[in-house]
Amino acid sequence: MTGVLHALLRLFTVQGTWNYERMLGVSLGYAAEPLLEDLKAADPSRHSEAIVRSAEFFNCNPNLAGLALGATVRAEYDAVPGAQIARLRTALCSPLGALGDQLFWAGLLPALVGAALAALMLGGGWWVVVGFLVLYNTVRIWTAAWALRTGLDSGMDVGAAISGSWLPRAVARVGPAAGFAVGVAVPLVAAWYLAPLGVGVSAGALVLVTLGIAAPRWLGPRFTAVRFALVAVMATLLFHLATR
Amino acid sequence: MSSLPLMTLVTLLVWGTLVGLDLVTVAQSMIARPFVAGTVSGILLGDPVAGLRVGVLFELFALDVLPVGAARYPDYGPATIAAVAVAAGSPWELSLGLSGTIGLLVAVLGGWSLQLLRRMNARAIQRRAAALAAGESSAIRLLQYGGVARDALRSALLTAVGLAAASLTATFLHLDRPTAVTLTVVLVSCGLAAALGGAIRSAGRGPRLVWLGAGLVLGLILAILR
Repeated sequence: MTGVLHALLRLFTVQGTWNYERMLGVSLGYAAEPLLEDLKAADPSRHSEAIVRSAEFFNCNPNLAGLALGATVRAEYDAVPGAQIARLRTALCSPLGALGDQLFWAGLLPALVGAALAALMLGGGWWVVVGFLVLYNTVRIWTAAWALRTGLDSGMDVGAAISGSWLPRAVARVGPAAGFAVGVAVPLVAAWYLAPLGVGVSAGALVLVTLGIAAPRWLGPRFTAVRFALVAVMATLLFHLATR
Repeated sequence: MSSLPLMTLVTLLVWGTLVGLDLVTVAQSMIARPFVAGTVSGILLGDPVAGLRVGVLFELFALDVLPVGAARYPDYGPATIAAVAVAAGSPWELSLGLSGTIGLLVAVLGGWSLQLLRRMNARAIQRRAAALAAGESSAIRLLQYGGVARDALRSALLTAVGLAAASLTATFLHLDRPTAVTLTVVLVSCGLAAALGGAIRSAGRGPRLVWLGAGLVLGLILAILR
């Protein structure tokens, strides 16, 4: 099968047409195009059907989209019935979304950001920023390549390939690491900003931090951190205007 | 800010476009993370420390974001660039509050622009529904290029609006020292609350909560020792 490298590169734009109807669907079709090229000569009508299927609704974490892409393309070459491929695609949305989100958005990313912030607060220079980018991108590019290769190799058996792989174990480990890294970073960042401003200021800040954490619990999740901050800013400006 | 050379403004605009694209559409290489976007903006503006101060502040807010499924979230990348443009060249304790406020407003506008982009992508797909149903690869390619181009335009416009807001703020809005410092403390506190609140929410009641607690203790010890 040709076009694997092209498909891998295109996977890095898999959210290029993100929308609330097909979500990643059309962009996954864009990534599938080079992989399906060989099918065009072998079976033109199958190729056309495969292109239609490749752009239908799909959603998952973008870093693991290669698993679904590889598996469905392999199934097209294996002449698996179209309805079965569509069912596979639908069935992969939730697990790939959950695993990928926990691994990357709730795990690796906060872990590396927390570590980078802590390193910056402890005197690290620009190399910390570069190191963060290099480390994160090494992991996600390797993961994307692994995902595409695993999907292409396993086809309809991709579910078993995922559950027997390193993914579930990594998810279990990276979560605590993220909690720890963010935990280390927060007091260091707080001291970096507030220590030069004095103890009284820090005490006032502690009250506001507590309120900020409690607010979404009291007022519901729609009262986000940004909304709390904007309300606090407005209150501060109004107070200063009133007491001028 | 108001006297920035044209070349610097153009460079910031290009950087903001790349950062905006990186958030969702192209690459997701994390140059859109505020502490990255802020540091680079600070270097471009000749004040890397201001870039880092602003970037770390917005990073605290960004740590609260979990971009799962169809979640809606602010766009902190171009917002950080606008905020750094306000803060560069001024003492951080006086400028961080005001620059952070401008940045937060730009971030909210950016979040709204992402919703608009997603609706526009959906409309473009509906217009080419027949071609997609016929299995035309060219339709998929056009939709993809269109989606990327729309996001590039969105990111450039958002950065331009942010830089314009930064310029107006630097020219017309001057706070007295106590107000400026209070605003800085308020925003830093809100950022810390966002990061910690997000970490507690993500931790749930499992072992991650214990590790978060252990991290907080170690961080506190390191902060005191420094």
